[in-house]
Amino acid sequence: MTAATPSVRDPRDPSDSGRPQAPGTGRTRPDARDEGRATAGRRDTREARDTREARDTRPDGDGPTRRHASTGRPAAARATALFSHRAARKLLPLAVAAALLVPLALAFPGAGSWPAQLAVDLSGPLGRAGDWIIDHRDSHPLFLYFFGHVSNAVVICVRAVYTVLLAAGWLGVTALAGLVAWRLAGIRLALTCVAAFAACGLLGMWVPTMQTLALMAVAVTAAVAVGALLGLAAGLSPRTDRALRPVLDTMQVLPAFAYLLPMVLVFGIGVPAAVLATVVYAAPPMARLTALGLRDADAGVLEASASLGATGRQRLFSARLPLARRQLLLGVNQAIMTGLSMAVIASVIGAGGLGDRVYQALASVDVGAALAAGIPIVLLAVVLDRTADAAGNRLGATPDPAREKHLLRRVFGGWYGRLLTVLAAVAAAVAGRIADTSLWPESWTVPIAEPVNRAVAWMTAHLYSGVPVVGGTADWSARFTGWVLDPLRTGLQAAPWWTLLLLAGAVALLVGTWRTALTAVLALAAIGVLGVWEPSLDTLSQVLAAVAVTLVLGFAIAVGAARSARAQRLLRPVLDVCQTMPQFVYLIPVVALFGVGRAPAAAAAVVYALPAVVRITTQGLSEVNPAAMEAARSLGATRSQQLWQVQLPLARPALLLAVNQAVVLVLAVVIIGGLVGGGALGYDVVLGLAQGDLATGLVAGAAIVCLGLLLDRVTQPAKEA
Amino acid sequence: MTHDVNAMTHDPAAPEAADTPVFSVGGLWKVFGPKAAAAKVPGSEHAELAPAALREATGCTAAVRDVSFDVRKGEVFVVMGLSGSGKSTLVRCLTRLIEPTAGTLSIDGEDVLAMDAARLRELRRHRAAMVFQHFGLLPHRTVLDNVAYGLEIQGVSRAERRAKAAEMVAKVGLDGLEDRRPGQLSGGQQQRVGLARALAADPEVLLFDEPFSALDPLIRREMQDEVARLHHDEGRTMVFITHDLAEALRLGDRIALMRDGRIVQLGTPEEIVGSPADDYVREFVRDVPREQVLTVRSAMRPAAPGEADQGPALAPATTVVEAIEAVARSGGPARVVDRGRCLGVVDDAALLAVVAGLPAPAAREVAA
Repeated sequence: MTAATPSVRDPRDPSDSGRPQAPGTGRTRPDARDEGRATAGRRDTREARDTREARDTRPDGDGPTRRHASTGRPAAARATALFSHRAARKLLPLAVAAALLVPLALAFPGAGSWPAQLAVDLSGPLGRAGDWIIDHRDSHPLFLYFFGHVSNAVVICVRAVYTVLLAAGWLGVTALAGLVAWRLAGIRLALTCVAAFAACGLLGMWVPTMQTLALMAVAVTAAVAVGALLGLAAGLSPRTDRALRPVLDTMQVLPAFAYLLPMVLVFGIGVPAAVLATVVYAAPPMARLTALGLRDADAGVLEASASLGATGRQRLFSARLPLARRQLLLGVNQAIMTGLSMAVIASVIGAGGLGDRVYQALASVDVGAALAAGIPIVLLAVVLDRTADAAGNRLGATPDPAREKHLLRRVFGGWYGRLLTVLAAVAAAVAGRIADTSLWPESWTVPIAEPVNRAVAWMTAHLYSGVPVVGGTADWSARFTGWVLDPLRTGLQAAPWWTLLLLAGAVALLVGTWRTALTAVLALAAIGVLGVWEPSLDTLSQVLAAVAVTLVLGFAIAVGAARSARAQRLLRPVLDVCQTMPQFVYLIPVVALFGVGRAPAAAAAVVYALPAVVRITTQGLSEVNPAAMEAARSLGATRSQQLWQVQLPLARPALLLAVNQAVVLVLAVVIIGGLVGGGALGYDVVLGLAQGDLATGLVAGAAIVCLGLLLDRVTQPAKEA
Repeated sequence: MTHDVNAMTHDPAAPEAADTPVFSVGGLWKVFGPKAAAAKVPGSEHAELAPAALREATGCTAAVRDVSFDVRKGEVFVVMGLSGSGKSTLVRCLTRLIEPTAGTLSIDGEDVLAMDAARLRELRRHRAAMVFQHFGLLPHRTVLDNVAYGLEIQGVSRAERRAKAAEMVAKVGLDGLEDRRPGQLSGGQQQRVGLARALAADPEVLLFDEPFSALDPLIRREMQDEVARLHHDEGRTMVFITHDLAEALRLGDRIALMRDGRIVQLGTPEEIVGSPADDYVREFVRDVPREQVLTVRSAMRPAAPGEADQGPALAPATTVVEAIEAVARSGGPARVVDRGRCLGVVDDAALLAVVAGLPAPAAREVAA
């Protein structure tokens, strides 16, 4: 997950601060706020859409109420009173739907599970399709002339970058990273960079780090190019935007695992599939932010440009694109972070590198080895994010080489500074080659796997169970499984299928609109039709349990943090780092603590989703209109009265957004939890990959998509205006 | 007032005459709404409807309704009205930043509505430059590069446009701030940048769209003086949009007062204040200090025998407030003298009547 970006830390664009707020400019402010918020996390970009959609899809409908009210008879009036309540009025059609569904349910008696008669077994056709593709991969023109070339190009690019990185040697790479960071952000980030790369080497992970870096570089470059082009199209043409937006929105809420199988189907397991899955996963944020930036470009400036006689192209290049450059850089940052996240997960389909080491280690529950590979991932994420962030800040601010105080930075400041940087790095690389240390020297590595495993063994022996009073971690895990997960799963699976459909529809209808409700119900029904009802409900139970824990913890922390600026200051760097880390990494500590199973998967999901929830909620609570707070205080409200009567109601949109985020993020990790014994859909995907049983995996993947859609729709705060 | 004769060479076909208006607007309409429906409104039975009724009937909003006026060379033509009166739309129609729905529009006799895209760009690049309420500056460029932006669009070489821009920056009094970004400037300074950018192209007409509405009152005053000075020095034709009556009276040679997309009165400041065309205008100008706007021309009465050759002499353009001073000093009526001929006299009664807002005793006869 990506880290916070400059605009989160300061949502108001500093370049605007000197500007008077007249009615005309007021129009652009809500969007600017959206943008600031949009950067809280990758998926948070959806907020902009949510608020906008909210305006569009606000259900109207006083009409019927008024008509009822005019009848005047007491009985009718009572009924009217009931239906004038919006929720009740909305649920009426649902009751009709129930009346239709119940006979259908009676027609297929049996347990609560989805009736087999209504399911379609896709394993046969899908298996045949998979076989056909495997058989024809070397002969069919589509593969020969299109996918084949794509695949080859990807392999060549990744290999070229990898070769260059290896040839530059650890000295060259570290020097380049350090110099770039220094130029962009100063000595602190430079030292962090150098230390991070040195740590990768020390942990004996130099080669996997370079593999991951090479794969990511290629994938992110492609994702940025694709995303920028799509964003450009959407930003300039409202029609394209309307067509593209739902697709991008949906892509952003789907768990990473859902992208793996289609790629494997076409390209087979290997680097091309991994790279392309990463591209597909990392392009949407770039496209979204590009479009957002282009659309929200200050209309006044564009008009001024037109009034001076600029051609369309001049306007695009001299005004529109420069005005959007903050968002463009933000998009690149997000593409890098999502790219890293996916490049690690894609180890499951043959990406190699660090993710592969973690994957292998987790498969054999070797926490030490997993940690040795996990640390470089985290370091890479932090360093990349900070550097991209610094690049964004630097462009946002105004570089003025002439006024630079440090002599060295002035020398490195201008355009020739770039040349100098590269030259210095090349010099370092050459020096490294002369000293014959292009690979990290074997003798310099610090094997941490052994001590870590000893520590884990000690923990297993002493902390897993039997700790006085608090109990052991394994006990907690077992209790969570036994008291929360199992009853929930049993309950869901025992509940008649049509009640679940109705429930999904009702919740979506209450939270959103008719269209979201329809999508939710159809998505749930599709899961049944696909024949993966039981495992999907298993996944759902884990998601619900983890979301509940996340929200309780997140809201509690956020309410506490929102009270003091100091707490927020302390919390911010922690949240930044947490939101930077790829999903995969969270599995390592929970396996160490709780072993394998469903509870650890849920725990990883909680830890992963918590930072986003805390950040959004804190922001929402502390951005509550100060005038309203002051008014409450002046009326003598206590702190808890302020919280319950002013802050929480006014922060409602943020709270709803936090719920939505929690659901989406938790789902993503619960699915990945299939790797550490989470079972259910995630396990099906992994199993399908491991055994070459594409049909199972694809069906599970489709179910994941449906589940993602369902969960997103039922929590989408669409009616907040 | 110096007339910019060079500007006429843009269009050799235009008749070389001082009385060719810079802008000639006839029956101009701008109707917002679905294109097909909007095009039908002008001239139809809906044309006379009130805004709400029109929206009800057609789903369209008429921002500019059947507006006609000429902007003469060298004058400051002010369009004034409250927000929503269509004045900003009107000024944008002049360079087709907003496409008019119907009517005629020409610049120096050349039909603007018939221009193709290239010709229109040429018009915007060289002949009419605009200053915006919210400045419309590029935040990522320095002051100098912002001023040079118009020239850059024209394709002027870097050295040349920077030299020209530096000259303009000095002209609007921003020396020393060339390397700042707009975000580092105050509102008034930003608008000076906007003004310099418009001047850099050396346009024939300057269009101002409520340029000082977003500024503090003191800064606004300062900027108005700046514009008045520019106009005095260069005699450039200006079309000035404002919702501030005081600003309109201060700057305008002629004022068009708009309401609901129509011009309700067009005239000199004195005509607007002295003889409002209807109740709306009267209400509008009610609080104007009349003695500062009206001249002795509208307060004088025919000279009684013996009055024509004594008392202080005043020019016809003398404001009432100045005449009060002269009359108070001399203690008797003052003569209004134009080229040695006595047009009439003003006495304390007539001057007080102006201040009190009563119809001047002889105003009717003089106006006739």
